[in-house]
Amino acid sequence: MSSRTTISRIAALGGLSTAVLLAATACGAGGPAATSGSAASTVNVLVEAGGHAELTGVAEQCTKDTGINVNFVELPYDGMFNRLSSEFSSGNVSFDVAALDSVWLPSFKDAVQPIDELFTDEAKKDIFPALVKEANVDGHFIGMPAWTNSEIILYRKDLFEDAKNKTDFKAKFGYDLAAPTTWKQYQDISEFFTKDGMYGTDVKGGVETEWLAHVLQAGSPMVLDANNNVVIDNAAHKDALDFYTSLVKSAPPGAAQVDWAAAQNLFNQGKTAMTRFWAHAYRQIPKDSPVAGKVGAAPMIGGSAGVAGVPGPWYLSVPKATKNSDAAKKFVKCAYDHNDLGIESSLGLASRISAFEKYQDKPGYESFKPLIETLKGQATATRPATAKWQQIVDTVLVPMLQKAVAGGDSATLLADAKKQIQDLLK
Amino acid sequence: MRISDRRFALYLMAPAALFLTVFVAYPLFRLVADSLFKISPIAGGPRDFVGLDNYIRAFASEAFMGAGWRTLAYTLVVVALEFALGLGMALLFTALGRKSEVWRTVFLYPLMIAPIVAGLLWKFLMIDNFGLIGTLLHQAGILQNPNQIGWLSNPDIVLFSVAVPDIWLTTSFMCLILFAGLQNIPGDLIEAARLDGAKAPTLLCSIILPLLRPVIAVALVVRGIDAARAFDTILIQTNGGPQSASETMSLLIYRTMIRFGDPGLASAMGAIYLLAMLGVAFFAVATIWRPGKDN
Amino acid sequence: MSTAETPINDSFAAEAVAYRPRPAGAVSAIPATGTKASGATAGAAPTGALTVEPATPTSAVSGTGRPRRRNHHAEGLEAGRRSTRTLLWIILAAAMVLYGFPFLYLLFTSFKAPIDTIAVPPTILPKEWTLENYTNALGRSGVLASFINSAQTAIISTLLSLVLAVPAAYGITRYKTPSGRVFIMAALVTRMVPPVAIGIPLASMMSSAGLADTPIALSIAHTTISLPLSIWLMSSFFEAVPNDLEEAATVDGCSRLGALWRVVIPVVSGGIAVTAIFAFLASWNEFLFALLMTAVRSQTTPVVIANFQTQFGLDWGSMTALAAVYSIPVILLTLLLQRKIVAGMTLGAVKG
Repeated sequence: MSSRTTISRIAALGGLSTAVLLAATACGAGGPAATSGSAASTVNVLVEAGGHAELTGVAEQCTKDTGINVNFVELPYDGMFNRLSSEFSSGNVSFDVAALDSVWLPSFKDAVQPIDELFTDEAKKDIFPALVKEANVDGHFIGMPAWTNSEIILYRKDLFEDAKNKTDFKAKFGYDLAAPTTWKQYQDISEFFTKDGMYGTDVKGGVETEWLAHVLQAGSPMVLDANNNVVIDNAAHKDALDFYTSLVKSAPPGAAQVDWAAAQNLFNQGKTAMTRFWAHAYRQIPKDSPVAGKVGAAPMIGGSAGVAGVPGPWYLSVPKATKNSDAAKKFVKCAYDHNDLGIESSLGLASRISAFEKYQDKPGYESFKPLIETLKGQATATRPATAKWQQIVDTVLVPMLQKAVAGGDSATLLADAKKQIQDLLK
Repeated sequence: MRISDRRFALYLMAPAALFLTVFVAYPLFRLVADSLFKISPIAGGPRDFVGLDNYIRAFASEAFMGAGWRTLAYTLVVVALEFALGLGMALLFTALGRKSEVWRTVFLYPLMIAPIVAGLLWKFLMIDNFGLIGTLLHQAGILQNPNQIGWLSNPDIVLFSVAVPDIWLTTSFMCLILFAGLQNIPGDLIEAARLDGAKAPTLLCSIILPLLRPVIAVALVVRGIDAARAFDTILIQTNGGPQSASETMSLLIYRTMIRFGDPGLASAMGAIYLLAMLGVAFFAVATIWRPGKDN
Repeated sequence: MSTAETPINDSFAAEAVAYRPRPAGAVSAIPATGTKASGATAGAAPTGALTVEPATPTSAVSGTGRPRRRNHHAEGLEAGRRSTRTLLWIILAAAMVLYGFPFLYLLFTSFKAPIDTIAVPPTILPKEWTLENYTNALGRSGVLASFINSAQTAIISTLLSLVLAVPAAYGITRYKTPSGRVFIMAALVTRMVPPVAIGIPLASMMSSAGLADTPIALSIAHTTISLPLSIWLMSSFFEAVPNDLEEAATVDGCSRLGALWRVVIPVVSGGIAVTAIFAFLASWNEFLFALLMTAVRSQTTPVVIANFQTQFGLDWGSMTALAAVYSIPVILLTLLLQRKIVAGMTLGAVKG
């Protein structure tokens, strides 16, 4: 047997087995085939964990209504943005609908299709005005809000209603202990409850949205004004930053790395008396947590410009590169129609005013009235629509906050931030 | 019909060579090609030739230079500690002989753990407020309060904190390799040295280490490369923060490419990074490794 | 750079073995210049050499007529005095506790009630033992599928790696051609590439080939990580096999390929097993490529574990449960085979 024959035999065998292997393994265990042209009645929806919870009930209903099967692809928040970026840049997408965080809309506006036909006049009336504005980029609607959120105040009702606390507080500060409505009240109450191993509130150095809400409350647009000038060093931003850092002494340590999950956990474990947090957290308090049943909800506090919150809506968008546009759009419309089903989910949110109003008086949904009130606030506004927003947040805003909570000088930090942002936007 | 030995060898190596060419060389080629362009993150967007502009921007950017130094510091710390600890454990196992064989096996287990799991695990040991390490140290009386040290929130020490899982994962292996090397040292040499009155430190420095030099050299170079590429553990622990204090090159390139949507700049950074590693590696090989440099 | 952080996934031991220390001798930079002379040591009992227990390395020497000395090498460095030994045992115990503690903590936490897993302040042992985290984690949609995907991807990647590496390593070691030397150097360079640099181009290549989101695409990516390692490992194993074997086979009428297939490969089968284990682990634990390249059909478990860290809560309990389930089988498997692994890896060192 010559080497040459053997080699060609082996090559043939190798080629054959590779082909078999390829064919056999083209299907992964994760689900039915992708949408590329084949089953037109299946849509892949790219979501993050919260989105998955929100849309599951909706998806079931939509399958019944329209016959479209829905597959969810779940990714962690950071991973999702990165996946969207890389798939959009390669031009091949593995999904037909994506739930996009509002701040990503400007970055991906060129990669998603307009869905103007879904924004009927009736729909525009039932969606919070700020969201209608945000969904419209360059004259077209590119995302249908699936749910929206805002920070509100969550506080320990049991501690606030305790008689001794009430008398002590009145004695120290001169007014009645109640859910805070102004910055000063928030500071006073936080200071009051920081004792005996507990803290008044938390300070989140790892995320920027809360500080931005305070900026709105102080009367300035966030970071950029309507003409895209950088206004981060104005008085409102400084006041907001000073307020933000003034709470460090009434908050648990490690503020520089405290993010949403950490803050939520601190409150659920009973370590903080109040927290400014996204409204969905109210319904997510575990039944066996030490604070279950003892929590009250109030609208976001107001600064000199009144109550304001940063809405955190998520939009359903359809990529241009999908081969399943019709089914995708059908799903998005159906999701809008059944928007109120999302409220029954573990995230418990919706985007339509009517959906919220349907539930606001039911027990267990005490967070809805404060949420609606905050969302309707005069100063409430959405974040600037610039494609560089994520970069601004990652490289300028969050590091600046981390330095501020560690004790940096706010004026200097804001001036530096302004320069950095201007460089980025050049 | 018999083909020459050389031909035969080529045929044997061809499939692997082809694979590496298609799936490694070609993407690298694209990396370098991309680094010469300014590329829009969305497909179908503009792609402008900018020559070496991305390289200039990279060197001018504080983030890049900072990441470079941080990567160097991280690598040095990780390799030094895993070597020291690995050597210590290897000597320990050797000194205890046969009876410690079981423990040597148990000591291997971190190698099976995924870096992502190790990163998550150590994140929850070191995180403020719910981290176990702070609590234990506080209970032992070493710390005044559990959160005195911000392992992952203090920018000054975070780079060393994120190195811990890496060291934890890799010490076993260093130990294993050095142990194998120690087995090779002829007992006669040691006995002779002992008879001459050599104490442990002398034994270590004058006999054991020089004999182990080739093994150590390989280990250091290769582990150095691995540490410089560290990604999973750092990403999951701190995502580069706070204030980019734990952002190494791999993380910076990842962020630039995917998060900030600048593939051109990221490719340039990647190319520079690769060249630097090649340079250092070949330098190390040439100086530490050259045959004839031993004994 | 997921896998390379853990040396077993990117075992430099292979290289260390390839460049094994020769007492008072020069070290060649390329395994191709292997020593046939010392082949006598291993040649006497090829399979015996592969299963040698490193703690008593001298058993391999039996065939050459040198006097057998038990624990020959270990004796030199072994601690003699009782008090020293006791002290060393104490140090070992402390080291084991410190080293093993993190994983034990992971296990204990997985059995706590979900709210207790992130308690402030944290505890080591569960207040009450419960399997809730396990049911939560494994019950989530996509988790079991991800296990299958991980296994599938790892198996394919391992097979691919072996199929490519074994012939290549044989060609490099047996026929010391210049191209072989270049190849080894190229493998070293490949190892230096941070996965982040080739992740995106690879992902888009796979998409264009219509292989987006398939296990085969991810397997190919994983193979780029494990192939250099496999080549180096197999090179060192082949070096340990003396040429006489093939010469004997070809004299009997076998072709070169036949000699490889029928004679040499069985001899290095232990080495192949070791290489397979490393390649498998490299794929099983890999994260970055999986993050970049998988979606519905082919998502692997490391990505799922990372998914539990969401914006909306810390599901530490489910994460630990899943991590435990994912790690324990691999740990057990490798510990069972550790003798082979350790033997295989120190083969070259012993042989030197």
